[in-house]
Amino acid sequence: MNVLILGGSGFLGTAVARACVRSGATVRVLSRSGRATEGEGVRGDVRLPRLGLSAADLARVRSETTHVVFCFGSVSWTSGPGEVLETHSSGTRSALAFLRELPHLRQAVHVSSLLALGRSEGRITNRELYTGQRFRNWYEYGKYCAERLVRDTPELPVGVVRFGPVLGPDPRGGRPDTRHGLPMAFPHLLAGYPVHLARRGDFPCWITDVSSAAEIVLKALDTPIGRATWTWFDPALPTLGEVFTEVCRPWGVVPKIVEAAPLGRFTRLIGERVGTPRELADYAEPWLDLDVDVLKDIPEPWPVPDPDYLGATGEALRAGRASTETLRAGTESPRAGTESPRAGTERRALS
Amino acid sequence: MTGRPASVDTDPHPYFTVYSAGNFGEVAPQRLSPMSWSLVGDPMERGTRALARRLWGRPAWAEGGHYVFVGYFGCRPYHNLAAYCHLSASIPGLQPSDVTDAYFEGVDSPAELTALRSGRTRQWAGSARLLREMRDAGPRLRALEEQVAELEWGLRAATTTNSPIALAGVLRDAQPVLEEAWAVHILTTSGLVPVRALQRRVYGKLLRHGEEIAHWLTRPRELVWDRLHTAAATLDPHGPGDFLSSSFYEVADGLAPWQDYAVRHKQVASGGTEAAVAPIDPAEALAGMVSPWRSRTVRALAVAVGEMMAGREHSKSLAMRTLHIYRRLLPALATSFGEDAERLWPYLTLREFTDLATSPGRIERARPRVGACRAALATPMPEHLDLSAGDDVMRPWLSTTPQEQRGVAPGIGTGTVMAPQDDLPDEPVIIVCSSADADIAPLLPFAEGVLSERGSDLSHIAILAREYGIPCVVGYPGAASLPAGTAVSINGSTGEVNIFDRS
Repeated sequence: MNVLILGGSGFLGTAVARACVRSGATVRVLSRSGRATEGEGVRGDVRLPRLGLSAADLARVRSETTHVVFCFGSVSWTSGPGEVLETHSSGTRSALAFLRELPHLRQAVHVSSLLALGRSEGRITNRELYTGQRFRNWYEYGKYCAERLVRDTPELPVGVVRFGPVLGPDPRGGRPDTRHGLPMAFPHLLAGYPVHLARRGDFPCWITDVSSAAEIVLKALDTPIGRATWTWFDPALPTLGEVFTEVCRPWGVVPKIVEAAPLGRFTRLIGERVGTPRELADYAEPWLDLDVDVLKDIPEPWPVPDPDYLGATGEALRAGRASTETLRAGTESPRAGTESPRAGTERRALS
Repeated sequence: MTGRPASVDTDPHPYFTVYSAGNFGEVAPQRLSPMSWSLVGDPMERGTRALARRLWGRPAWAEGGHYVFVGYFGCRPYHNLAAYCHLSASIPGLQPSDVTDAYFEGVDSPAELTALRSGRTRQWAGSARLLREMRDAGPRLRALEEQVAELEWGLRAATTTNSPIALAGVLRDAQPVLEEAWAVHILTTSGLVPVRALQRRVYGKLLRHGEEIAHWLTRPRELVWDRLHTAAATLDPHGPGDFLSSSFYEVADGLAPWQDYAVRHKQVASGGTEAAVAPIDPAEALAGMVSPWRSRTVRALAVAVGEMMAGREHSKSLAMRTLHIYRRLLPALATSFGEDAERLWPYLTLREFTDLATSPGRIERARPRVGACRAALATPMPEHLDLSAGDDVMRPWLSTTPQEQRGVAPGIGTGTVMAPQDDLPDEPVIIVCSSADADIAPLLPFAEGVLSERGSDLSHIAILAREYGIPCVVGYPGAASLPAGTAVSINGSTGEVNIFDRS
């Protein structure tokens, strides 16, 4: 198996690369920086024709690649349509065009998100994509566009794997990114501010951990998934309230989750001033009604999520802080197992 | 037409002395014959004056025997940049840069003559009247469409019977239609600028990423060009689409030297291969992200601007169709006016040509103009003209801020370069051109994007690209000379252009 991972330097991409390497596959990781923690890094850009690969790289990729994973794209919930569609729409289109030029392609997997279904009415299975849903932000719309494009190419062996929010310690090490997606709420919660959640967060949030998500992608390549759609989440189905509680536990903080609609409106109005973007408040209501039987489409055995990955996320946030503090104090050796936080230019995949 | 014997130039305006080819430069040929000028510049001037009069009364600067809003120098048509920028000062909240960005490729606007500025009350009253005028543009367009169709039928009847009397009748009937067509075109063209400025401002207040979203949402729902290209496919020589195979604006495109400037591209017949399921529009996607009243306001504005764009293209097509009637009528009538007229009619104005029937001596006026035009055509004319020195020397108006390429229709497109006259290859293509006219429309469904040397936010090509939802970047020098097969990536949101070597 020769795997090309598009956007493989991100949060999920790195985990996928690691899982593939562990399974004995040859892994090539395409990113704009050309760096890779796992496998061979190749410099490229999905928005460009032929992925912006140099002639030498292109020849090698074309002649060897048998499997492709789409892990690229902006994960910001707050960016505008231009930035989101740049990767999710234009990028997916050019990546699909590139797949047509791969003579040995056996299977490709597009990593989609349950958020592509936005505020859907009714029960959702793997079959639905457009149910007349309304989108909360441009990220959801971007993921929808990407999956739409993938579904509209029946001639290509591209399967779709959908995840909810993906948590867990960053496989690249360092402090988990709290600038995008659900983790944007963590600093707020850890600082002890109250957060409004409908039913005090007692609704499923279809969360999973990064290593089991990566296993699922590998399984999709390996099985192979064909043109099917799979949805994966932690079968234990933690509720959003539980997720927040578990992430805060290593800090000795009990998150102040309240059901107070005025607080939600307040957050929406001035939350940005205290670092809680308006987009976050849109997720305070139950998200979507997903049929839990969708898991059965994935052939067994299913991967087992890491025990206490939520606690590990909180721990990683603490460790990140601690390592920053040790660095500030001028200590030469940061604590084992932690790296200094990265400069904030890279995007980390969340879902 | 002119007081000076050896020139066909118009007199410049005494105060507003900066001219720009602007939008003329994109669709019109480089040079126009005096006859075409009298069919384009003259009614445009009259239409703009009438509009200004209805909106703001009779400002002294818009009166007089000289042209105010347009100019014709060295056989090249120009817009009076200074006058249009001054008009923008008469609308509250509008900046001269809104006008230059929309139609004049973002050149610097000349300094404002504050002494001529109108008062606040007049400004607001004028805007209210402008809104009312724009509301009535739709019915006016429909009535006009009927009249143009009638004229086309009249021409068909007159040509089949080959009767000079009937042809002269069509010539007589065509004049009011032409004036109305240009008047509506002026109205929609100028109305679009304040409406868009308003849209941008309201979006900025109501939405996060307002500017960007304005780009994505504003799309004309249906442009007239599709219908006309379908009509052209019937190859009916008197049908509504026949004008598409001839040059915009130039009516004497069968005669030297004017035919050299009337460049036409090849037409490509269109056939359909479209995506199975249309994805949701960004406009629909936005609906869930904002509160209902915001969403309604945003969409109403987007529709208003989109409709104005469609109206502008519609009025332009009607003006082109009327010009096409002249294009067929004038040579046919000229033969009945004698051999001289057959050769010299492009050098007459419409008025003089009409008078030939009763006073054949008018043809003498054309003779000195032949030499004058030849001399004018040999002189290169700048894009933007500065006549403020008043010494008859054509100096270019230089912009101090560098003009850079701009994205005018959002999205990213990558593909290989293709000129409009080339055959359509199998791979994704980016159409490159120096400027675009209607004939590019049939290619757009097959293109991934458009890269143009010229153009502004509201140019023809920008509106067409929006209609088809493909990205467009304008103001990229040397676009048309890119060799075919070069791989290009354009970003219609930021204006970024990447050129790759073919590997």
